Amino acid sequence: MSRKLYILLSLLVAVSMLLAACGAPAAEEPAAATEDASGSTGGDAPAEPTFSGTATITFVQEPDSLNPLYTSMFFSGITRDFWLKGMWSFDNNNEPVLEIAAEVPSADNGSLSADGTTIVYKLRNDVFWSDGEPVTADDFVFTYDMIMSDANVVQSRYPYEDYVTSVTATDPQTVTVTFSEPFAAWLTTVFTYVLPKHVLQPVFDAEGTLDNAEWNKAPTVGVGPFVFSEWESGSHLIFTANPTWVNPPSLEQVFIRIVPDDAAQEAAIVAGDTDIGVFLSSDQIPTLEADGTVDVVAVSSGYDEGWFMNVNPETAHPAMLDVNVRKAIALATDRFTIINDLLDASINPVNATFWDGTAPYGGNVEPYPYDPEQAKALLDAAGWVDSNGDGTRDKDGVELVLRYITNTRELRKNVQAVVQQQWSLVGIGAQLENYSSDVFWNGYNDGGPQAQGIYDIAEYSSVGSFPDPEASANFLCSEISGADNPDGANWQGICDEELDALLNEQAVTLDVNKRIELYHQIGQLMFDKVYYIGIWLDPDLWSINSRLQNVTLSGATPFWNAHEWTVAP
Amino acid sequence: MSTYILRRLGQAIPQLFIISIILFMLMQAFGDPVATLGARTPPKPEDKERLRRMLGLDQPPAMQYLTWLVGNDWQKLDMDGDGIPETNGSRKGILRGDWGNSLVTRRPVMEMIGERLPNTLILMVTAEIIIIGLSLIIGLYSALRPYSFFDNLITGLSFVGFSMPVFWLALSLMYLFAVNFRRWGLPYLPTVGMFDPAVGKTPWELIKHMVLPVSTLAIISIAGYSRFVRSSVLEVLSQDYVRTARSKGVASRFVVWKHALPNAALPFITLIGLDIPFLLAGAVVTERIFAWPGMGRLFIDHTERADFPMLMGILMLISIAVVIFQIITDVVYSLVDPRIRLN
Repeated sequence: MSRKLYILLSLLVAVSMLLAACGAPAAEEPAAATEDASGSTGGDAPAEPTFSGTATITFVQEPDSLNPLYTSMFFSGITRDFWLKGMWSFDNNNEPVLEIAAEVPSADNGSLSADGTTIVYKLRNDVFWSDGEPVTADDFVFTYDMIMSDANVVQSRYPYEDYVTSVTATDPQTVTVTFSEPFAAWLTTVFTYVLPKHVLQPVFDAEGTLDNAEWNKAPTVGVGPFVFSEWESGSHLIFTANPTWVNPPSLEQVFIRIVPDDAAQEAAIVAGDTDIGVFLSSDQIPTLEADGTVDVVAVSSGYDEGWFMNVNPETAHPAMLDVNVRKAIALATDRFTIINDLLDASINPVNATFWDGTAPYGGNVEPYPYDPEQAKALLDAAGWVDSNGDGTRDKDGVELVLRYITNTRELRKNVQAVVQQQWSLVGIGAQLENYSSDVFWNGYNDGGPQAQGIYDIAEYSSVGSFPDPEASANFLCSEISGADNPDGANWQGICDEELDALLNEQAVTLDVNKRIELYHQIGQLMFDKVYYIGIWLDPDLWSINSRLQNVTLSGATPFWNAHEWTVAP
Repeated sequence: MSTYILRRLGQAIPQLFIISIILFMLMQAFGDPVATLGARTPPKPEDKERLRRMLGLDQPPAMQYLTWLVGNDWQKLDMDGDGIPETNGSRKGILRGDWGNSLVTRRPVMEMIGERLPNTLILMVTAEIIIIGLSLIIGLYSALRPYSFFDNLITGLSFVGFSMPVFWLALSLMYLFAVNFRRWGLPYLPTVGMFDPAVGKTPWELIKHMVLPVSTLAIISIAGYSRFVRSSVLEVLSQDYVRTARSKGVASRFVVWKHALPNAALPFITLIGLDIPFLLAGAVVTERIFAWPGMGRLFIDHTERADFPMLMGILMLISIAVVIFQIITDVVYSLVDPRIRLN
């Protein structure tokens, strides 16, 4: 029997090997210019492009879905730079680079109405889906319809649900979007992707939903320099060169490997098994750059690590309602030493405002210095003194012990421990609490500690609609979360008339320079009133192997120039 | 025997039913799947509320379990949020073969498991064969030469192997054979994945990429299993019937292969019988470090996202496998040891 068992196991191995090995070869023939494609791009097409080389990229998380309707995940979004372009991408200076649109709408070219509620998108006439069908305004109308359909369990309807009243195809090359009010963040949030109507409309008609469409996992028709070729769950995604794209790539294929372990990703980068790595930490830089073949570059995607101060009179510690106490907290914290000890000060300098990573909206505000003596003086003046000699200040019988919460990330736990020590020097106590990310981000009705105000200081890294600065809902009085407004996005309980006025004004200000000025005022006001204390700028760290050339990463659409990438011979 | 097997299978049905209830209750403690759907960008509150409604997560746990078990195609759902159910449900429930869709990928659970299972089997079955084979050889050799230099050496190495954390061993092997060997100009192994994209999916690529993860799994398990085999064989060798056989002049090789080994194998078969169902579960740490797209990673990735349909699918599959392999183990007992009668 044991012999039979052995034979059975051997057969199992053999079958498994066959199953794993019998798939299509990864290094498939490049998506050579097909008859379809060459025929549809017109008779004056240049000589057929040639492709060579493979770029290998590691992702530490696997995309949920490739259909943007069903994911807002970072790693899914950045794959779209290869295969599903929107109206435009953003370059390394966060300037728009036209992809499907023929121009960026503006008042000057007449595509932006004077009242700011109508935007006319003009499409290029030389952009085709990878199967040769032209990209038209109908595709954008279809995309809007699918986002808003109750038959599709889409991930997000922002900003369409709140701001867009209609999307119409004026002609095959013109899309007109009307808004309920001027919407300043349109450049980065509207039509960042488009769906192929000719592929998905029949699926929707037949199934009544796109939730189970094969295209969600295998989008064989796209619009970008590469075309989807293969996705093996948990293993890899392959995109091959798209000869029909207006800027055909040089590379033959892009191979994305899912490597969830940070240390394993580091080994793969050092060994040269991957060309681009992402989500690296600054302590990895010396190891990665040791051989001289890998460069680590910091690219801001707007994220800044910061403290969000609870100033809600109903939930916050009474001391948190005093601006001088909040200022004392900033002065009592040596953030400069923290980043020197735990991070790399050249990459992660201390930030002053929520928008420091979203240039040019951050302004030139200098962070509060480390000055424990001034902190003590401010606390004394505010009436918080150590009257019972227990080492912690108190007032009216209330101890100055603040609930300092964050998620379970190890780096943040280390920061908490150091800060607790620093605060003790000025008589501020810290009650450290850590939540798993899902609980930390839960809403009011689900017992989220931030949404319910069960904290005094919350630490995390956040961003607006990068590269747009829009994050107003987090700070508006009308958005304060509570039993009567459980979906409110303002978890800090900020209710400041001046801030409200500035935030509301910027939201409808389409003049870029004026909006920048408004954000400088907002940043300064939030700094002065210490609603937010910056800890460090949190750019993304990418590794690039020197064999892959012409890589210029951007924060919003990292692989925007993938068509220019080449592999060194 | 067929009556015995049928009776055991009949007993398994209520067992699996109770297991499914317990697992579903445990799922409630995993957190909010909608809260982590955006990963780095948490969903906006209004999107979260809509998603909960559309995915049925706003229903009481008992109702969600019922949907998972028998489906919801017999009721109408409120998809547009106006408080009036208007859309027919589409789930059939596990009792009608619908294991549900992942909340994260929205894809059928069984389809996703089906994609990962071959990868896990090739890794785990290969490792298990090597583990069983080498454990038997080493354990037997040690038992036949107890307290010799080789036995002492194996004992020492076993303790080292057994006490090594998996992640440390995996990363050490990776850095030595994949990173440093390449630096030193020696033949090297790949770091992660199942094949080199520049070469493609060939059997040789697969074998190369399996060496390090299989070695990691094998080193740690052989350390324990070989000690188990050694003690079992030593115990049998000290039995009266072995001494009798030897005193009658039976050849030593015959004594070992015909008398000692079959008797010593019984506890080892139990161990393997318990192991086999868990081959389906994969190896969480090893798969994660070597970026091996198997069941272990599928489970841990979806645990982090509180994706309960996927977790229920994997756990129920393993539960079913445990029940089946327990029955198979009992049957194998009766075949190997004539003293055991299933009736």
